[in-house]
Amino acid sequence: MIRLGTVFWTLAVMLAAYATFQVKYQVVKLEDELGQLNRQIADARENARVLNAEWSLLSDPQRLDRLNQAFLHLGPVAAAQVARPEQLAQIPLNAAPKNPAAQVAGLPR
Amino acid sequence: MKKPADFFLDDPCRPRHFRPAPSSPAPQEGPAQAALEVSHTRLLIAGALFVLAFVVIAGRLIEVAGFKAGDVRFARGHAPSHAVAARADIFDRNGALLATTLDVPSLYANPKLISDKRDAARRIAAALPELNENEIYAKLASDKSFVWLARQLTPRQQDAVLQLGIPGLQFESEAKRVYPQGSLTAHVVGFAGVDNAGLAGIERGLDDALKNRDTPVNLSLELRLQYILKNETARQMRDFHAAGAAGLIMDVRTGEVLALVSLPDFDPANPGAARPEQLFNRATLGIYELGSVFKIFNTAMALDDGVATLTSVFDATKPIEIGGFTIHDDHALKRPLTVPQIFEFSSNIGSARMAEAAGTDRQRDFLGRLGLLRQPAFELPEVGSPLMPRPWRPINTMTIAFGHGISVSPLQMASAAAAVVNGGVFHPATIVKRPEGLPVPGQTVMSAATSNEMRQLLRLVVQGGTGRLAAAPGYLVGGKTGTAEKVAGGRYATHSLVSTFVGVFPMNDPRYLVEVLLDEPHGNALSGGEATAGMVVAPAVRRIVERIAPIVGIPPVDENSPEIRRALMVGSPNPPGRTLAAN
Repeated sequence: MIRLGTVFWTLAVMLAAYATFQVKYQVVKLEDELGQLNRQIADARENARVLNAEWSLLSDPQRLDRLNQAFLHLGPVAAAQVARPEQLAQIPLNAAPKNPAAQVAGLPR
Repeated sequence: MKKPADFFLDDPCRPRHFRPAPSSPAPQEGPAQAALEVSHTRLLIAGALFVLAFVVIAGRLIEVAGFKAGDVRFARGHAPSHAVAARADIFDRNGALLATTLDVPSLYANPKLISDKRDAARRIAAALPELNENEIYAKLASDKSFVWLARQLTPRQQDAVLQLGIPGLQFESEAKRVYPQGSLTAHVVGFAGVDNAGLAGIERGLDDALKNRDTPVNLSLELRLQYILKNETARQMRDFHAAGAAGLIMDVRTGEVLALVSLPDFDPANPGAARPEQLFNRATLGIYELGSVFKIFNTAMALDDGVATLTSVFDATKPIEIGGFTIHDDHALKRPLTVPQIFEFSSNIGSARMAEAAGTDRQRDFLGRLGLLRQPAFELPEVGSPLMPRPWRPINTMTIAFGHGISVSPLQMASAAAAVVNGGVFHPATIVKRPEGLPVPGQTVMSAATSNEMRQLLRLVVQGGTGRLAAAPGYLVGGKTGTAEKVAGGRYATHSLVSTFVGVFPMNDPRYLVEVLLDEPHGNALSGGEATAGMVVAPAVRRIVERIAPIVGIPPVDENSPEIRRALMVGSPNPPGRTLAAN
């Protein structure tokens, strides 16, 4: 009887010890993983901040205007170029503009 | 059946002279019996305590493992640490970044770890072209164990250095405030110092909020409008060799400032290099005698208080002599004028007569309601207080009618003029985006009918009066010119002017106010030799309106359509708030 009990409890203790260590190692591993993920999140956040700043720098209207003047030569939209939907109905389909230059009157050439 | 003690006696491993105590002792008498009772009780109590402790531990284990497994409180200690966002970001109203804090790496070296110094210097110089190879070599050849090579690198530069793979090179990062838009928003955003303290602009005005919160601040500013305003204002300042300029675009329905420019400006990354006049915000801190634009308020006062109607006539035949001072007109018509004529041709004499008829108290009360007599509440710390006469004599009443003898900031002017055209509601100016869906704070300062009449008068000035050059076809611009002589040494200096134009569009249902001020412009061939607001400022307002209208979504209308003509004809009753343009 006693032997049986001793064996049982010994086994139980060993099992418990094994399980405990198993859990502990798992936790250590998870914590490593968590730390890594947290560092990745912090890195990604910092990268996002840098990219945001760079986007703002690249989309700076002063820069865009400079590039426009160097390569595209686009001008502001003139009032004559804006039409409302009901005005479109008055233009016959397939009607090519007779004088394209007239459409962009008011634009710097 | 054996008694329990016999098991021990049968045990071959039993110590030889060991005899276990009988498990159920024979009843004994006396002190021995009492001692046994006591120890028995003690044992029971101790056992019970242990059982209790184990039960508590077991219960707690079950609770932790079974019921609180997903509880966030247990993960709190492991939450990702927030990045070094020592200071919240600042955005414009559409989310364009205006100010942020970045981790900026600086490169240093430990020369003792670098073997081939000549080669290392050559490769570093190749990766960072702005550095000088010989200087790097001199630093690496020193016998120190720490030398700075380059401060505040961009991520790309840092990457280039890392690619070199030279041992002994290290990075040290520090938080740095970055202003990607540079000087474009310098006067609004301002700048912060090295110790994370806001020193100017919104950085100072909202310092506490920026320091302590992680939530970004959204300004009411619209970056595209800001650029157009700065671009056109700077062009005008350059063309007419002005000492400075200020510009402001405001939403007249909310009081939100969409663009605010003060020139000359500065680079917020290096404010230390700026001269005082570059740091000075002319749009909010500068106060000026703004001249004839004040006739907007003088006329509105006369109309709203019933002192005059649109058909009233005031005598502008001859200059007014008062207190050794002569009030005369620049382009004297020398005849009695109606209120619209006084406004259209900017008659000082007629305006002074209107103010005289209204009286000092009415004038002071009306200007006070429009916020022109006190320092305005505004988020920027650079806000000027108005200068007004004390005591307020009758002569002051007459000169203030046409904007002399009172100095206000362009910001105050914009808020007050917005109230005149928006149906008569004064909205305090703000540079922070108003939350959507919430009512805009405002105070009714005049009747809607007066506001409607003022719209017609302002339109008249651009259609045929002094502001003709501000007419942007299709956008129904209205406005008022103001050319004031600056006070120099106690006298008005004829050749040192402040030229202002306050424009509003579209006049049949005002949405936006554009104000441009040039400080000491000089007339030249472009303006027919004149430096008046109508010649040097109005053309800029026309270009600004033409450029911003498509962005803010104001469609052009046919100015000659009967509805528009009827709505803006002086004296026609246009039910306020009704939108005549189909927009």
